[in-house]
Amino acid sequence: MSKPHKHNWAAFTALVAGLVVMIFPFVWMILSAFKSKADVYAYPPKWIPSGLNWENFARAFVMVPFARWFLNSLLVSAAMTFLQVGSAIFAAYAFSKMRFPFKGAIYLVVISTMLLPQILTIIPMFLLIAKLGLVDSYGGLILPELFSGFTILLLQQYFMAIPDDLMHAARIDGCGPLGCLRHVVIPNSGAAIATASFFSFLGHWRSYLWPLIVVNSTKLRTLPIGLKYLITESSNDYQVMMAASVMAIMPVLIAFVFTEKRFIRSITLSGLKA
Amino acid sequence: MSRRLILASLLALVTLGFVSAADNRAAVRTPDGKIKLTLWFALAGANGDAFKAQVDGFNKSQDKVVVEPIFSGSYADTATKIVPALEAKAEPNVALMAAGPLYTGAYKNWAILDYINSDKDFNKDDIFPGMWEYSKFDGKICAVPYNISTPVLFYNKDILAAAGIDASKAPVTWADLYTMAKKAQADGNKNKSDDFWGFDMSDAPWLFKAMLSQNGNPVVETKEQTTTIPVYDRADAVEVATFWKKLADDKVMPQAQHANAEKRFLAGNLAFIVASSSRIGRWTTDAKFGLGAFTLPRFKKASIPLGGGGLVLFDKGKEANDASWLLIKYLMKVENQATFAMATGYVPVRKSSVNVPSVKAVSETPLYKIALAQLKDSWAYWHFNEMGTMDLLIGQALERLEKGKQQPAEAMTASVAELKAEMQ
Amino acid sequence: MIRKFRLGKSYYEWGESAIAFFILLPTLSLVALFILWPLVQVFYLSLTNWSLVKGTKDFIGLDNFRFLSKDPNFLKSIRTTFMYSFIKIPIDLVLALGCAVLLDKAVPFRRFIRASYFAPVIVPIVASALIWIWFYDPGIGPFNTILKTLGLAPVNWLSDERTALLSIIIFAVWRGLGYDILLFLTGLQGISETYVEAARIDGANPRQIFFRIKLPLLSPIVYFVLLMGVINSFKVFTEISVMTPNGGPLYSTGVMVYYIYEAAFTRGRFGRAAAASVVLFAIVLALTLVQKKIAKKSVFSE
Repeated sequence: MSKPHKHNWAAFTALVAGLVVMIFPFVWMILSAFKSKADVYAYPPKWIPSGLNWENFARAFVMVPFARWFLNSLLVSAAMTFLQVGSAIFAAYAFSKMRFPFKGAIYLVVISTMLLPQILTIIPMFLLIAKLGLVDSYGGLILPELFSGFTILLLQQYFMAIPDDLMHAARIDGCGPLGCLRHVVIPNSGAAIATASFFSFLGHWRSYLWPLIVVNSTKLRTLPIGLKYLITESSNDYQVMMAASVMAIMPVLIAFVFTEKRFIRSITLSGLKA
Repeated sequence: MSRRLILASLLALVTLGFVSAADNRAAVRTPDGKIKLTLWFALAGANGDAFKAQVDGFNKSQDKVVVEPIFSGSYADTATKIVPALEAKAEPNVALMAAGPLYTGAYKNWAILDYINSDKDFNKDDIFPGMWEYSKFDGKICAVPYNISTPVLFYNKDILAAAGIDASKAPVTWADLYTMAKKAQADGNKNKSDDFWGFDMSDAPWLFKAMLSQNGNPVVETKEQTTTIPVYDRADAVEVATFWKKLADDKVMPQAQHANAEKRFLAGNLAFIVASSSRIGRWTTDAKFGLGAFTLPRFKKASIPLGGGGLVLFDKGKEANDASWLLIKYLMKVENQATFAMATGYVPVRKSSVNVPSVKAVSETPLYKIALAQLKDSWAYWHFNEMGTMDLLIGQALERLEKGKQQPAEAMTASVAELKAEMQ
Repeated sequence: MIRKFRLGKSYYEWGESAIAFFILLPTLSLVALFILWPLVQVFYLSLTNWSLVKGTKDFIGLDNFRFLSKDPNFLKSIRTTFMYSFIKIPIDLVLALGCAVLLDKAVPFRRFIRASYFAPVIVPIVASALIWIWFYDPGIGPFNTILKTLGLAPVNWLSDERTALLSIIIFAVWRGLGYDILLFLTGLQGISETYVEAARIDGANPRQIFFRIKLPLLSPIVYFVLLMGVINSFKVFTEISVMTPNGGPLYSTGVMVYYIYEAAFTRGRFGRAAAASVVLFAIVLALTLVQKKIAKKSVFSE
């Protein structure tokens, strides 16, 4: 809609009302991170902290290796996103642009894996990882969650839409199937690949159940798992948990605010549909 | 192009490769040749810190073994993680956890028993006999009691004072407590809170089992060492359930909100709470009100089921096991175990602890005195496979009672029937 | 000379097929190793009395399924899971679509607003659930304080069997809304101006433009959000286990995944947990097929 200079104030009012609900928990989190223990348990409940209790942050920081967890999450998610999207590009290309036997059946199996809740296979998966000697290692953290039917589906839908004429032209120029992937499909799919990477990263960033089971040592914990342990460890110290949450969440939130425009653009361009 | 091919082949390799043949029978060693042990512990906050200090002490006390202590979350988290770990032989060397025998004896791992019996320095008779019962599976010892607690009746002194209740007179029976809690609730709400209660507990099945035995009704009976039969559906048990229901019906106790009990108590909105003695250390600093404690009230007789957990040793080959035993023995030294206990509110497990000066000093403080005095009435049943399930089912039966969905006899019968079906 | 081979009624090129399988190798080996192999095991285990604690792993035929068909908690968990889906998905769809339509208009601070709606999505559930548990606290939580200020009776959000599931749903909607808004928003922005202009010239009012032009063009995304919504609602676990331990008051939040978790990890009945997993898988599969059928009839494609 191109009405650049005329603001729609009715829509704005409705959105702001929703916005208050959406960010209220964050406001509460930030306020509570500065509360003293007495504020937390005060009756009637206190909204505004009695002072700026910075020591909550210091305590959370001393209690756990925060920077390490943050880095773990970042590295693991990035590595997984890279490997996942990388392998998915090949798979999506094979499914959308190549002819080979049993394609339909293989595709169906690969896509229907989206239906499986993880809890279903978690024990056999754990036994397998143990056989491979990968319990409590980055390999064990990464490998089992590398594959995603969703990522393949997303890319495959987009690759399908690339006109076959372009492919033919490339073939006449002497490109084989992989040449076409490199010179035609990938250069034309920037938006789709960015979108797939975005969703993939998000999925790994939030991953919970598998890391909880496979990681034992403190230094391998990712942020969600670390937070979970911190919550158990600080038992009734809500103000410390909130300070920890602020530290865990804020960097990502801020990064997101500054980059979201690009994401939305690429998701729009990728013409996401199922 | 070739780069992509390499990437693809790498991915395939990454996927299929990675096979390593780990022999867990040889002890893991650090680069400088020391034996490395992994230790999981399920103690949070200040209690966890007190335990870590003990482990540090062990690491400094000798130069052959290095222990890496890892906080493994709550009791439930630890159990969730230990099950697949055992199946995959990825368990730690030693763990400090609840229901340890379910993960040793139940798996036919009696390694620790040989050490207990053969090590002359250990002096197993110095440990309270009830605690040994708490460390058995099928009648055989397969854990060492370490963080043992008793349930204590804590109270908020300020509320009792506001309600004009004489706190120097402890409630002896549950009927006494009922009267006191009711009065505290009616007259002690000086904050005018809408969420103010007389009595609650943080672990409903634990207290219920205590009450059962106080009323002369065992929780389970054991036949031929290996068969356990739940019997909490007899008349004496129904009597207890009836009292329990009355607490909820008369709104002295909030209906089925035990997970909130500790939070309420700390917020000053609950007059009495039954909680583990392991809260003594933490709450003494946390509570913003006068914290008091009474001996657990009783029905026909005093009776205290032990709670908490212990140390277990997982069989990882003789070399590692020997090192693990060294650690356990260090932690169990009279002074060390007592220091840990006094820092946390767990009870000392050795009879000779009473002679340790630091214990003498602390055990005279009012809160500890009560936790320790209760030991004379303490007991435990052996661990059995469906123990966790039983607590779950008792919890669900109590919930149905409190919410008025079932009558006492009905709830107990249904719960026992369900448990028997699980055991068949 | 391209060499071909025949399989059934179709011809394939040797070279192309070989390359296809080669580049599919990473994906196929991951699927085989980490999904199909465990899945086969789950199907086999569902026919055994596998218990890690008891050390049994004997073939018992369909006994686990017979047990499940009579277990009130399991039957309840199926009902709870469906209720969760049926309540959450419509709320989610309507709210997300509404917000996306508003965000598609020219509003000030659009970027900031958009990012705020998305913010809950990127927060680890354990952290956000913790905040909400506090909100729902009957004594020191702000929700009841607000109710009190409005002169309403307090609610025992998470510990009352009538409100526990709803409380979880409110949290889940808050947590996931931004994701769906994002999908709808990108769909709306992808709709070509020409359709809208054409309709406007034909005299269509804004409401007609939305319901007759935009919504049909958006239907593939609506379908997608619906499909993922159903699949994901059958996977919900983290907030259930964090916010309402032990399946909530009177097992009112014990969804199927929670039942499976409890059977396996609390009760040590892995065979039974596997059987429950097989039932869950069958239900999700059936629902997806039904949805596909409906979609074929009603989803508009360009």
